[in-house]
This record gives sequence, structure tokens and C-alpha cells, in this order.
Amino acid sequence: MRKQIPVLLLTILSVSLACAQTPLRIAAAADLQPVLPPILEEFRQATGVRAEASYEASAMLTTQIRNGAPYDVFLAADLGYPQRVVDAGLAASAAPVPYARGTLVLWTRKDAHLPPPSLELLRNLAVKRLSIANPERAPYGRAAVAALTSLGLYEALKPRLVTAENIGQAAQFVDSGNADAGLISLTAALTPRMTASGSYFVMPRNLYPPIEQGAVVLRNATRRQAAEQFLQFLLSAPVQGQLAKSGLTPVK
Amino acid sequence: MDWQALALSLRLAAITTAILLAVAIPLAALLVLGRSRWLAALEALTALPLVLPPTVLGFFLLVLLGPRTVVGRGITALLGHPLAFSFSGLVVGSMIYSLPFAVQPIVAGFSAVETSLVDAARLLGAGPVRIVYSLLVPLARRSLLTAIVLSFLHTVGEFGVVLMLGGDIPGATRTLSIVLYNQVENFDYASANRTAAMLLALSIVPLALIYAAGKSRGGRRA
Repeated sequence: MRKQIPVLLLTILSVSLACAQTPLRIAAAADLQPVLPPILEEFRQATGVRAEASYEASAMLTTQIRNGAPYDVFLAADLGYPQRVVDAGLAASAAPVPYARGTLVLWTRKDAHLPPPSLELLRNLAVKRLSIANPERAPYGRAAVAALTSLGLYEALKPRLVTAENIGQAAQFVDSGNADAGLISLTAALTPRMTASGSYFVMPRNLYPPIEQGAVVLRNATRRQAAEQFLQFLLSAPVQGQLAKSGLTPVK
Repeated sequence: MDWQALALSLRLAAITTAILLAVAIPLAALLVLGRSRWLAALEALTALPLVLPPTVLGFFLLVLLGPRTVVGRGITALLGHPLAFSFSGLVVGSMIYSLPFAVQPIVAGFSAVETSLVDAARLLGAGPVRIVYSLLVPLARRSLLTAIVLSFLHTVGEFGVVLMLGGDIPGATRTLSIVLYNQVENFDYASANRTAAMLLALSIVPLALIYAAGKSRGGRRA
């Protein structure tokens, strides 16, 4: 036992040293959940900086940031929420930086006994529950309502809409079969799980205002330099190319 | 104030409490009067919702009782719609979620009844049903009141389960606690304050009344 004590102390010491280097903390919009993890891993390999992300609806992250949540970077799903952070004097820059554009898709399970997803499907009465993200706080939810309104279907579909907390939950409602169809993000529809279980239809882009996704580094960031570095990394050509494969349209 | 949500929360709590009471009285009687060794396991099971995160419950209801499982398909056929996104789904979720708040006070109340009284009733030929309804229930009425108030209030304050399987439908699944959450998330702190004050008042007044009733009888005996 006595021989093991130095080993134990050494272990504790090395673990605490590893913990002393706090990770870069990222507040990320829920549509980034399938996209960001491999990018964070590449960032760690390229720079040695470990990053951790929390995924929520953009409005929720904004509330958290305004109430002092200790994030370094905010990757939102629109430009409005990071602008609010700027307006509250909590950002390190004067305006959010656009880093990608989101795409709205209509998704159904293959075993849903419905025709393949299309605009026609939205008029189909067999769709009893259509899941969308909360339009009051999730940019994809706002886009979904805008698209249904442009189609003149919003009032008719309103009683059949089920509202999810964020775009991740909207996908989960329809993937679990509890909703018949869902207006979700292309990033969710392109995950291996959802490509295996269902199919999607890209909603025409003229039906909703673009989902322009913006980022800001936060003024109170504990790792300001690493945060700026991450933003540059995100805007670099290879990473932008990777975003394109995951369902986001690059800005560059 | 969202009166529709308030009415919905109260209706959900009232229905849940009524059904729970019907389930909890026989269950508590079984736990107190029964002799089987398996009752400890059953009692542990009824206490489980106290310690399980409500999100676990919401997840089970959404996925295991969803339309992709056999049980879920049965429920869908029976109700005509999946449990999720419906008032009946919230009732099922709330019943599981508030079960310990109904069972535990009643078990405590029944256990506090003198065993000699129960034995005497047995000797006089009373069956278990008679013992429960003519002896245990009247003697433990204060515990029953506690069980009713606690399950009612616990259901009014329910949040995690509703968030996971509600779908935020006005009049069906948008309860007062969801309204409060929406108001906070939408930066509407003035309305959030009013909703929170309403929830607080709804909780504190009945609780104060129960404890006052306990004090005026000079004891803590159930």
C-alpha cells in the first residue's frame, strides 16, 4: 500500500494539472449538434485547445449568456440572437460574424405509411402531427412558420403543429414516430441515424428568409485568444467545406 | 396571465389526484397489511419517481410508449392518437411522477393505526376491504388529505415530463409551468414574474392550511 502512495499522488497531480487548463466553452445552436463534434476534435489536433459545446435553442443560450453563463464563443442559428448579445454589451466585437447558412427540410420516417416528403405532403390530412421548433426562440422554427405562411398553409396546419424546445427535439419527435412529419434542419436529416430511418425534401429557399447563422466571441471570455482562433478555424476553407457536407451552406 | 394554461394545470392536477387516490389507497393498504417479502421491492418501485429525473420518465413515455413499440401501438389504437402531445399523455405521465406523493403519506397514516385495532377487526371477521374502508381510511384521514394536497401541488408544479412529451399545445399540453418557461425564454420577465407569483401562491396557501390544521390538533399524529 505504502509503495502505491507516490503513484497515487502523481496521478492526482497530473489529473489536476490537466484540469487546470479550462476548455474553450462554446454555446452552440441545436442544429450544430451533429456537425460540431468532429470539428472540435480537429481543432484540438490543430491547436491543442480542448473545446466543449453546449447545444440549445439560440434564445435559450442568449438568456444564459445574459445571465452570466461562462461561455467563450456563441454560435447561433441566426444573426438576431448574437446581435442581442452585442447590444447587451457582452460581445467582444461590434457585430456577429456569419459563419454558415441553414437549410430547412421536411422529413418523414420511411415506415410512416405516407407518400415521400414533398410540398404536397403538407396538404395531406394523414399528417396529423407536424413537429417544428419553437418559432419564438429557435430560428429554424421561425423559418418553418414563415415557409408554411408563404404556402398559405399556416392557419390550416396550426392545430396540427407540435412545438419542440429546439430543432434537435423537433427531429426527435418525428424520428421517434410521435409526430408524422417534421420541419427540421438539414444537419439533422443528414445524420446517419436519420438517413437510415427516413427521407427528406429540401424546402424551396424562396419560402423563408435565409437562416443566416452568426457567431460572436464573448467579452468576458476566459479564453479570448483561443476563442478568436476557433472562429478563424471555423471560417477556414477546409472547415467550411466540411460544413457543406453536414448540411450547412458555407458563407465563403 | 394565461388563464387557459392555469385552468389546464388545475384540471390536470385534479384528474391526476383523483385517479391517484383510487390507486394509492389499495396500494398503501397492501404495503401495510401484506406479508409477502416482495412488498419491499414494490415499495421501492413506488418511491422510484422521487429520485428519477423527470426527463427519464418523459423519455420512456415518448419512446417506449411511442408508436414504434407494441405497447405504444396498442395505446395509439385505443386512444386514436399517440400518448405524446395529448392531455391523456400528460395524465399518465403525472400519475407516475406524483405516485410517491400519494402513496407515502397514506402508508405512514395506515402504519400509525394501532395494530391491536386491526387485529380486533380481523377477529370480528372483517375482511381486508372492510378493514381498509371502515378502519384505516377514517383513522388516517389527515394523511389522506396530505396525500391529496401533495399530489395535486406536485402535478401543478410538474415541468420536465411536460416539456419532454407535451409539444406545447395551447389548451392540451401548455401548462402554467411551461408558460413560465416560455416567458423566461422570450425575455418577458414582467409576465414571468406574474406567472411565478401565481404558481407560488397556488403552492403556499394549501400547504400552509395543511400544516395549520396539523398544529391546531396539537400533534403530528397522522
